[in-house]
Amino acid sequence: MSYLILKDLEKRYTKGGNLVVNKMNLSIRKGEFIVFLGPSGCGKTTTIRMISGLEEVSGGDVLIEGESILHKKPKDRGVSMIFQSYAIWPHMTVFENIAYPLKLQKLSKSEIKERVMAAAEATDITALLDRYPTQMSGGQRQRVAVARAIVVKPKIFLMDEPLSNLDAKLRVSMRTELKNIHNKEHATSIFVTHDQSEAMSLADRIVIMNKGVVEQVGTPMEVYHDSATKFVASFIGTPPTNFFEVSIEEMNNELFAVSKSFQYRIQQELRKALKPYIHKTVDMGIRPEFIDIFHEDQVKSEYLYDTVIDFVEPQGTHSVLIVNLEGKEAKIVTTKYMDIRPGTKVSLYIRDGKAMFFDRETTLRIK
Amino acid sequence: MSKLKLANSNKTGLPNTDIFKKKQIDLKRVFSKKAIPYLLLLPAFIYYAIFWLAPVFAGVAEVFTDVNGQFTLTGNFKLMMHSDLFDKAVMNTALFAAVSVMIQYFIALLLAVLLSRKFRGAKLFMFIAMIPMAITPTAVAILWKTGLIKEGWINSLLMFLHIIKEPIVFLNAEGLAAVFLIILIDTWTVTPSVMIILLAGLQGMQRELKEAAYTFGANKWRIFVDITLPILKPSIITSIILRLIAAIQVWAIAVMVLGFNKVPFLVERIAFYVDAVPGVATSEKLAFTFSFTTTVIVFMVTIIYLKFAKRNTKIGGSS
Amino acid sequence: MDKLNIIQKTVMGLVITTMVFSVVVPLLFFLSIAFSSDVEMTKFPKPLIPTFTVTVKIAPAEDDQYEVFHDRGDGYRSIITTGNPTRLENHFRRQYSVRVPGEQLLKDFSKTRIYGPMEFQYRKDFFHNFKQFFAIVNNSIPALKNSVLVSVYTILISLSIGSVAGYAMARYSFKFKDFINVTLLIVRMFPVVGISIPMAILLIKFGLFDTLLGLALLYSVPNIALTAWITSSIFIGINKELEEASLIFGANSFQTFMRITLPLAFPALTASSMYAFLTAWNDTISALILTNKNQTLALVVYKAIGTTSSGIQYAAAGSIILILPALVFTFIVRKYVNQMWGGVEL
Repeated sequence: MSYLILKDLEKRYTKGGNLVVNKMNLSIRKGEFIVFLGPSGCGKTTTIRMISGLEEVSGGDVLIEGESILHKKPKDRGVSMIFQSYAIWPHMTVFENIAYPLKLQKLSKSEIKERVMAAAEATDITALLDRYPTQMSGGQRQRVAVARAIVVKPKIFLMDEPLSNLDAKLRVSMRTELKNIHNKEHATSIFVTHDQSEAMSLADRIVIMNKGVVEQVGTPMEVYHDSATKFVASFIGTPPTNFFEVSIEEMNNELFAVSKSFQYRIQQELRKALKPYIHKTVDMGIRPEFIDIFHEDQVKSEYLYDTVIDFVEPQGTHSVLIVNLEGKEAKIVTTKYMDIRPGTKVSLYIRDGKAMFFDRETTLRIK
Repeated sequence: MSKLKLANSNKTGLPNTDIFKKKQIDLKRVFSKKAIPYLLLLPAFIYYAIFWLAPVFAGVAEVFTDVNGQFTLTGNFKLMMHSDLFDKAVMNTALFAAVSVMIQYFIALLLAVLLSRKFRGAKLFMFIAMIPMAITPTAVAILWKTGLIKEGWINSLLMFLHIIKEPIVFLNAEGLAAVFLIILIDTWTVTPSVMIILLAGLQGMQRELKEAAYTFGANKWRIFVDITLPILKPSIITSIILRLIAAIQVWAIAVMVLGFNKVPFLVERIAFYVDAVPGVATSEKLAFTFSFTTTVIVFMVTIIYLKFAKRNTKIGGSS
Repeated sequence: MDKLNIIQKTVMGLVITTMVFSVVVPLLFFLSIAFSSDVEMTKFPKPLIPTFTVTVKIAPAEDDQYEVFHDRGDGYRSIITTGNPTRLENHFRRQYSVRVPGEQLLKDFSKTRIYGPMEFQYRKDFFHNFKQFFAIVNNSIPALKNSVLVSVYTILISLSIGSVAGYAMARYSFKFKDFINVTLLIVRMFPVVGISIPMAILLIKFGLFDTLLGLALLYSVPNIALTAWITSSIFIGINKELEEASLIFGANSFQTFMRITLPLAFPALTASSMYAFLTAWNDTISALILTNKNQTLALVVYKAIGTTSSGIQYAAAGSIILILPALVFTFIVRKYVNQMWGGVEL
């Protein structure tokens, strides 16, 4: 079933140096679109460079169709790569750029031409074939890079932040096109980015990495609504999740998250999981859109705290409210009270089932 | 800058100013705006008119008048062609320029490819490699003369290494051997710097360009031939042309190491007629004609350079 | 892509070592010769490091004379026999670069009358050749001064005219701009030797022949164009908004240029002035054509080798003085050297 498997994959650049990628395990199905997401230096680029064969592996294994590819050269791995800088060769025309990989495979001229034309059509650059890269815009170069990557009909597409050099508008439209091309070609794809909205909109599954470790693998909805670690909860979502330090206490047979300024009653489902943490400190996280500023009759929620709105940032579709909670800024997203004014007294309520708790040592979600 | 200032003053101009005055301000603005760059370039224009164009024309005039001040189209060129060692000077200059540049770029490219990785002490290495080029040509000549004399350091070194038993008398070299001696000295001077330039090009090249070729199945040699070299080619060729222009003007090393008339070059002939046989009417004419000829040759190489540079910007060297 | 194996590492090490040696060894020998005494110059093979002392063997001779023996590598040989303090002093100075008064030598040697022949060791005057270069070679001290002055003049002319032109090229678009650009490039490439001789005639007319200013005017020909080229590329890089901001905050055009534009363009001006310096400092052929009495140092060194072929160590010492400033300035502008050579940036 699994097409590409990473098994305890490890990378360190110097002997005894830091692990840039630490015991990474992942299995990818055929035709899946996987996104590696994480801050810079988290090891995501290193990982796809190891898959492509540009980087040596320090430990573990990479298997394609059940066969280890570590001993193989990049060209024999059946992968092709789109680089961050596109890596379009400036001295070759667009046609020559796309044809070069095929020339290396010593294909016949007619076949090369046929396949280049097909790839150019798929990426909509047939009009550019005689031009040199320096005469083209960033978006056009990007298309050439994609055409060059699909022309070799790879088993796996590797894309290293391919959209990061484009301007914001182009980035969004190219991302739709990449998804389109993927749907047409059905090639298994791994896409590296640090942009969460890019990741959410492209991925079948997202691999969230931090400091060389995989924090969570899941669909966009899973990583958002069911974050596995504190890092994932804080990295995914804008504005980010609000965190508070609380201690878990038991009163009247019920569990409470207690801080200096509030006592929050924990819903029943988490009772069992949180029981071992009684009298201990944990991190409590709430996404901004799951906090209400007034009690809503039709919504099941639990009272948290009375406070005052400090700032309002209208965004059109919603407003971001900033309140002071425990001496820290907490952000709330509201679509209902968009015209609320700073200084208004509010009572915060958390929607049932939306409070998340994280172990302070392992940073894992407690559930 | 002043454009902005003038625009401002115009804006603040009172609305009730009469039309004529307003028009004048506009005229002034348009005029001065256009004139500014020319005014700034004026000193350079004047300078080049007096100290470049005038001498160039004077030089051309001299070349086409004979010793008695009569016009002659070819007289001075005939004089030059029949002057002593003219053939040799032309041959040697061509040989020197071609061979030295070829040897230097071949060695430099080889070294640059071998060293195109990061290594410890790279900075110090670059520093040392730049020294020969930084030495005043006169001093380079003396440096090598102290080596080439019979009791010089080259013989000392060769004896010490047991390569030779008897000291070699380098300075007796004649003909081709003498030219190659000068090529050798020039190679010592120039090659390390050329290597640094090529190395900078190799290291400065985007790594991903090579990696892309590698992932598509190109081996090291193919990457070098198909990717690295073609991408560097424009800058290599420009630097070769610039180097050629310098090589055509070789003379000081030849004269100082071996003396006048030993290895004739075009510019060496100029120096000879100015320095060794001054005051004679024909030698002055010869100096003029030789310098005119050299300039024309350099000028032609420059035109090639310009053509090439233009083509590069069209195709686009590096992205 | 892949790591170096041991063989590749060794090859790389060997290549680096060979290159370093082939550059450094000639330089070391050259330095050694610049500090060698006359007697060391006749030694063969030559040492890589010059000696700091000289040892002679003295034997007493008749009539208050002393016989001086020196070992040139094949045992002690009698060199001179004299009792004359001036002759002794001269001999020691010329042959061994030892500067000791003759009376002092005689006093030292008088010990041999008691103890018999013995060896004496004297410290060499390490800068003997440099002193000799300035003493023997005609005009060498004025020449050094001339070289510095011509360089300064060249820098002043090139910078004042060139940077203004560079500013115009960078900030304004106008007719003939492309044409002017190409002309500047041609002038930059133009061989100075090509106009040196006609320039001589022109300078005679202006009464500037054989003057430092005349020479500087010639050297400025390629350097004005070069300065315009370097500064314009820097001015293009300086955001115009920086200047406009200054104007908005109330500075006038001149203040803006002095306080904002000029400081930002400082690196370009430094580089341009270094080039102007190097042209003026390194040139021989134009100085040969355009000067008579007011020679530059490079020219004097060039002539020195013709006249004193036996005392090449003095010419070597003169070259060292010639090399040092050029070396320092080249390293200051090395960032630009590579661009000059075809646009590969370091």
